Amino acid sequence: MSTDTAQQTTPDRSFVERIDAWLDEDMSIRRALGVYAVLGMYMAFLLLPVAYMVMATFTSPDFLYSTRLIPSLGDLTIDNYVTTLSRGQFQQYFINSMIIATATTALTLAVGTLAAYSLSRFDYPGKNVFLMTFLGTRMLPLVLILIPFYLLMFTLNLIDSYIGIIIAHSVGGIPLGTWLLKGYFDDIPESLDEAAKMDGCSQLDILVRIIIPMSLPGIAVAGFYTFILSWNDFLLVSILSQTASTRTLPFGLQLFQSQNSVAWELLLTAATVTMAPVVLLFALIQRWIVEGLASGGMKGN
Amino acid sequence: MSTRTEDKGPLADYRETFGSLLSETWLGYAMILPAALLIGVIILYPTFRGIQLAFFEASLLNPEAKVFVGFENFATMLEDATFRESLWHTVLLTGIAVSLQYMLGLGLALALKEKVPGAGVFRSLSMITWVLPVIVMVIIFRFMTQSGFGPVNILLAKLGMETASWFGRPGVAFPLVVIMHVWRNVPFYAIALLASMKSIPDTQYEAARLDGAGPLQRFRYVTLPQISYVSMIMIVLHVIFTFNNFDIVYLSTGGGPLGNTEVMATYVYKQAFQQYALGYAASMAVVMLVIMMTFTVVYVKLEARD
Repeated sequence: MSTDTAQQTTPDRSFVERIDAWLDEDMSIRRALGVYAVLGMYMAFLLLPVAYMVMATFTSPDFLYSTRLIPSLGDLTIDNYVTTLSRGQFQQYFINSMIIATATTALTLAVGTLAAYSLSRFDYPGKNVFLMTFLGTRMLPLVLILIPFYLLMFTLNLIDSYIGIIIAHSVGGIPLGTWLLKGYFDDIPESLDEAAKMDGCSQLDILVRIIIPMSLPGIAVAGFYTFILSWNDFLLVSILSQTASTRTLPFGLQLFQSQNSVAWELLLTAATVTMAPVVLLFALIQRWIVEGLASGGMKGN
Repeated sequence: MSTRTEDKGPLADYRETFGSLLSETWLGYAMILPAALLIGVIILYPTFRGIQLAFFEASLLNPEAKVFVGFENFATMLEDATFRESLWHTVLLTGIAVSLQYMLGLGLALALKEKVPGAGVFRSLSMITWVLPVIVMVIIFRFMTQSGFGPVNILLAKLGMETASWFGRPGVAFPLVVIMHVWRNVPFYAIALLASMKSIPDTQYEAARLDGAGPLQRFRYVTLPQISYVSMIMIVLHVIFTFNNFDIVYLSTGGGPLGNTEVMATYVYKQAFQQYALGYAASMAVVMLVIMMTFTVVYVKLEARD
């Protein structure tokens, strides 16, 4: 691909040679700079808007509503956070979001792990029907089921309750969660199950002692996926939540942004606080997600 | 799965196999039951009712008092200019957004595949747009394009160009919606394609190189065929996602200005919850479902033939 092939034979490695070791054998400095330029453009497109918003939340309205692009030191302040975080409603939405997303993740993982284990390790008539139905639900336009769904939840007395929203979000997460987990479970050799069975383990023992510990990365990925699904959802909450007591952050932000006079400094701050937990969670387990999204679910058969 | 091959005489062997099969089958069903029950009650039942509703005239104010009208709702669609427009917008949005996402995602995957120092950091950072809540993305884009103090307009003003509140501008709002779809999903394409590229054995590239294949030929004849399965999954998933997507359009433009960004999902939502025309809304949602099912079946068949 390039002209120089870096062949290392000298035992003492200089700085340049260490850089060379980073690079592929056909990777020249010029090529690396080209790659950085491309990556830089992508990052400018993807990250600059987010970074700019976060920066803006630490500035005073004087700067925000000015035509300057870069704040001076005097513009910096944490007033926006003090104001936003001390608002009772915002705290309430944050707590609601946390409770709902955490419970959704727990319920989805519990139900999804069992279903994935069943699909991965058992043979029974109708197995493929289950799998196809689970995946097929991804195709449904949410707006099609919205009305009957609302009427059903109304009948079940689940409107404006945590439980109703948690169930709705879980059902959204179960199909893909199960599919992801099944991919991870399939990767664990069945000889391990057989060995455990010889030792007198029941199926539940095998699931709890072998399958779950060995697929923790997969469970983390499925859990993360479910958590952001619930944390980010607007549509279902907007249907099911009727009072502030069950309203989550996205719904609260929507109400906030559709007011006639938007206080941008507070809206941006609230948006930053809303995205903080999912970004932090992502940072914690990003390695598993990046590898897992591809290897667990995307495998070719 | 549980068929053991121990020699204990045919009958005993049979009994044991059958017995364990039976108990295993029941256990298998029992374990999938909670998931199946939840999906059945919360998704499949409403879907069935939704499809049924498409053949009725019903109002949100009194959904129980519905009248069977056969295919009348579908006939109404043919006369409805807004329906035609929103269908066209949806198809256009899906086509453009998914094409751009795929091309840009492929480009990012190729760049991330290069073994430069720090590629891992870029890889992780890029995923941030994908984990953000849609409402946060919308707020970012609306802030950036605010008239007066939005950074995009400040830049444009400095360059002596026209400034405006761009989401309110017909002709600009639609491209902005496309950009948001692209912005959000490019990293996901990139990571999935990257992983699939990394699973291609180096020996295949070496062999191609020995045959005198240049970088472009290696990409064409080694990389592309090997990522075709993941590409198909990504494209099908995102066509479905974009076609059915509600919140990006609803939260950013609400379908405006002047219906310029109205898509099927927002139009169905408005018919149901603002016009209270439940039957008509359901019939349009059924059309969406049929289009998506047809697309998926045809696309997967075509892919499988290659």
